[in-house]
Amino acid sequence: MSRFLLRRLGWMILTIWVVYTVSFFLMRVVPGGPFDSEKVVAEAIKRNIEARYQLDRPLVEQYFTHLWHTVQLDFGPSYKLEDYTVNEVLAQGFPISASLGIFAMVFAITLGVTAGLVSAVARDSFYDFSFMVMATLGIAVPNFVLASLAIVLLVFNWQIFPAAGWGELRQVVLPALCLGAPFAGYIARLTRTGMLEVLGLDYIRTAYAKGLSHQRVVLRHGLRGALLPVVSYLGPATAGILTGSLVLEQIFALPGMGSHFIEAATQRDYTLAMGVVLVYTFLLFVMNTLVDISYGVIDPRVEVE
Amino acid sequence: MNATTRRIFPYLMLLLILTALGWAVSFGTLPKADFTFNNGTEIKTVDPAKATGSPEGRIINALFEGLLRNLPEKEATDPHQVIPLEPTTGGVAESYQVSADGTVYTFQLRSSARWSNGDPMTAHDFVWSWQRMLHPETGSEYSYQLHYVVNAKKYNMAEVQVGDRVEIELKDRRDPLQAFPRGTLKRGLLKAIEKPKGSSPDDAEEADSREEWIYRVEVKPTSNGKVSWDAAGTLKTFSQQPTGTTVDHSCHHVLIDFDSNVEIRAINDQTLVIKLNNPTPYFKQLLAFYPLYPVNRECVEKYGAPNWTKPENIVTNGPYRLEFRRIRDRLRLTRNPHYWDVKNVSLETIDALAITSYTTSLNMYINGQLDWSPTMPNTIMDLLRKRDDFVSAPFMAIYFYRINVERPPLDKKLVRRALNLAINKQLICDQITAAGQQPARSFVPPQLQGYTGQQCGAHDVARARQLLAAAGYPNGKGFPKVQILYNTSDSHQEIAEFIQQEWKENLGIDIELRNLEWATFLDTLNQGDYSVSRSGWIGDYPDPNTFLDMFVTDGPNNQTNWSNSTYDELIEAAKSEPDSTRRMETLQQAEGILMSELPILPIYFYVSTNLVSPRVKGFSGNIQDVHPLHILRVE
Repeated sequence: MSRFLLRRLGWMILTIWVVYTVSFFLMRVVPGGPFDSEKVVAEAIKRNIEARYQLDRPLVEQYFTHLWHTVQLDFGPSYKLEDYTVNEVLAQGFPISASLGIFAMVFAITLGVTAGLVSAVARDSFYDFSFMVMATLGIAVPNFVLASLAIVLLVFNWQIFPAAGWGELRQVVLPALCLGAPFAGYIARLTRTGMLEVLGLDYIRTAYAKGLSHQRVVLRHGLRGALLPVVSYLGPATAGILTGSLVLEQIFALPGMGSHFIEAATQRDYTLAMGVVLVYTFLLFVMNTLVDISYGVIDPRVEVE
Repeated sequence: MNATTRRIFPYLMLLLILTALGWAVSFGTLPKADFTFNNGTEIKTVDPAKATGSPEGRIINALFEGLLRNLPEKEATDPHQVIPLEPTTGGVAESYQVSADGTVYTFQLRSSARWSNGDPMTAHDFVWSWQRMLHPETGSEYSYQLHYVVNAKKYNMAEVQVGDRVEIELKDRRDPLQAFPRGTLKRGLLKAIEKPKGSSPDDAEEADSREEWIYRVEVKPTSNGKVSWDAAGTLKTFSQQPTGTTVDHSCHHVLIDFDSNVEIRAINDQTLVIKLNNPTPYFKQLLAFYPLYPVNRECVEKYGAPNWTKPENIVTNGPYRLEFRRIRDRLRLTRNPHYWDVKNVSLETIDALAITSYTTSLNMYINGQLDWSPTMPNTIMDLLRKRDDFVSAPFMAIYFYRINVERPPLDKKLVRRALNLAINKQLICDQITAAGQQPARSFVPPQLQGYTGQQCGAHDVARARQLLAAAGYPNGKGFPKVQILYNTSDSHQEIAEFIQQEWKENLGIDIELRNLEWATFLDTLNQGDYSVSRSGWIGDYPDPNTFLDMFVTDGPNNQTNWSNSTYDELIEAAKSEPDSTRRMETLQQAEGILMSELPILPIYFYVSTNLVSPRVKGFSGNIQDVHPLHILRVE
């Protein structure tokens, strides 16, 4: 186990370094710089601004200086939010995205597993059919379309939720639902398939033969096996939630990591964009590792090493 | 993996999920502000010297206050009224005099003006703030607003000549990356500059080699902070980055001595005297424009940049204090009890939201979450325009196309004029922009007082064809393919497509469209890698100069490669013209040249578009589209 974690750590460091290097140079190859504006500044002033951020140094020197700071977890000043360092921006943005992500994930898992379970147990029934149609729709409809629809219905038609913004619980509901919907659909399908497969296995028949109740068989013995594919899906789902939140944070004006990422990229805020990319990389790696570990815990056949 | 772990694992996970959910649910409660508006984007900074852009302007106008203040001439009773903004003595200055020749301004400061920490404001605050703004290391983009002051440009651009009184900052700053507080300052007469051998007169290379220059300075003795300029000094050598030769001191900068050269002087705590190079009729406007607002020296020197701008540290002098900031969400302003006119500030708290999506902003406005939204989707402008709460006024900004006059066939004046005549600008305003914009035939917007814009030809297809034929392209035959460059946006695309079609149908020429994402677009425009490019310009102050001095030869914002020596001379002459009527005439002549040469095609003049809730009072339109927050009230 510890060997496994150590090896993962090694891979993570390597991955982050490669991501860092590729992003660093890609960002600077793209035309346009952080200090270009429609009102062109006199060359002498621009030189002074660039000198302040050491952008006048050779690229390789910048790379190593910035890398050295990054290793110490200091992402430097934001070029476009001059009153903040990147660390401060991330510290404010991350909890918002995390909160949104947790809501979306909990919603996706709760709804997905319940729907999948009902569908599998009541196979070919009306419930099964309608849940699966909804699941397919959830997967197929892009989240920004779903968001527009939700806004029209739940904000303007029935006036249940505020249109956008951040600060109270009511404001998280719509974005979290829209963000979680496709994953709920996918998880429902995975659960249903897994459950159907498990319910046909010998040990389930054994459980019934021992006289256990239907409910106990399904929830205690069946579900554990059926959830294996769901657990392994949680890694990619995290990635999906992270990228999905880019769009939804814009639509619902949420000041999370996604908003920072998009703005940083379009404004050429190199340091902030880099900070967000590295946090995303780290997060994905950690989530995937956690999923791998929990897989080993749930499934006796899998040995983590 | 042992069985116990396996057994408790699901419960562990459940606990984890519940904890996470519990954390995610815990929201602090935020009391609603008296007035909430969408500021359009997260502001770059609250530092007046470093900010650019109107969202920054809205906040800085509330947090800080300059010598003068732009206020509507009279109180608005109806938001649809257009009431001109005038630079008034509603700011830190109680009164001021301008010398007969228009170059010396003397300001008397209000004794009641205070910083938000209760300290009195003095004339020295302005001297120091403007020195900071002009300091090369501050990198202020708006520093040219002070270049009208005697020697300010020289200080800003770090130009020194032999014989100048100079100030030298030694490398003993508290923090080398913070220009303020400054290190030890030596003052003296610059005797000689030794440049490294083989340095070329080329500007860029000169700037590069500058750090190696050796300055020979006769350092004058100082006592009690006063420099004895007439006393004999000691000769010392300085260099920013000494290589090889040894110098007495390495230093950060050698600049002209601010106190003895730059004509911004505090006579006493209440009196500030500013001398300009030329009578500049719009200088009052600049004093009421946020880049020249003062900052608190003690605060900046204590915390350094950017920490002095943090809500817990910042000291301001305007009607509002900075309560808190949540990045890309909102910032909250609360009334400043130390403000000299606090009794006339009605709103206690104001929230400025940073919503970039136009649709989201509109949704929140309609849903009652916003009291004022200056942004809205263009696509439904025709619907929004009919609303009672849609407030619009002419705006001193123009939408135009730049033409790269070095690219044949666009180097021919006749071609450019033909292109201009072939566009039906009225249709663009009616059908595409649809918010009441006016088709443009001049470059300077028509609303500026005392100025009549010089016009280029109106829509005339027959004449356009004639001109194109005269240029050697009858019916567009042999006309090379020309590209219109624009930044990615629906309305820019629609306009470009419309113009493409006009030129194809009316002149028979083929046009390609090329859209680029914003930063790439700016870069391409800067490099001059275009034929025709969409552009926009918002005037900094209501005077034709802010539009016309763009197109002087090699002006940083010219970008068309167009150059005309008569034009340059006229713009220069207008700068030193004391008589305001003659000055306007000179500028009109210059615009006449611009409109006959047409290195740019004016398309339309913008209008401001605001959605303002009926409960808001004191809101009115003006050509700057500036709406001071401290004069607003809500019912």
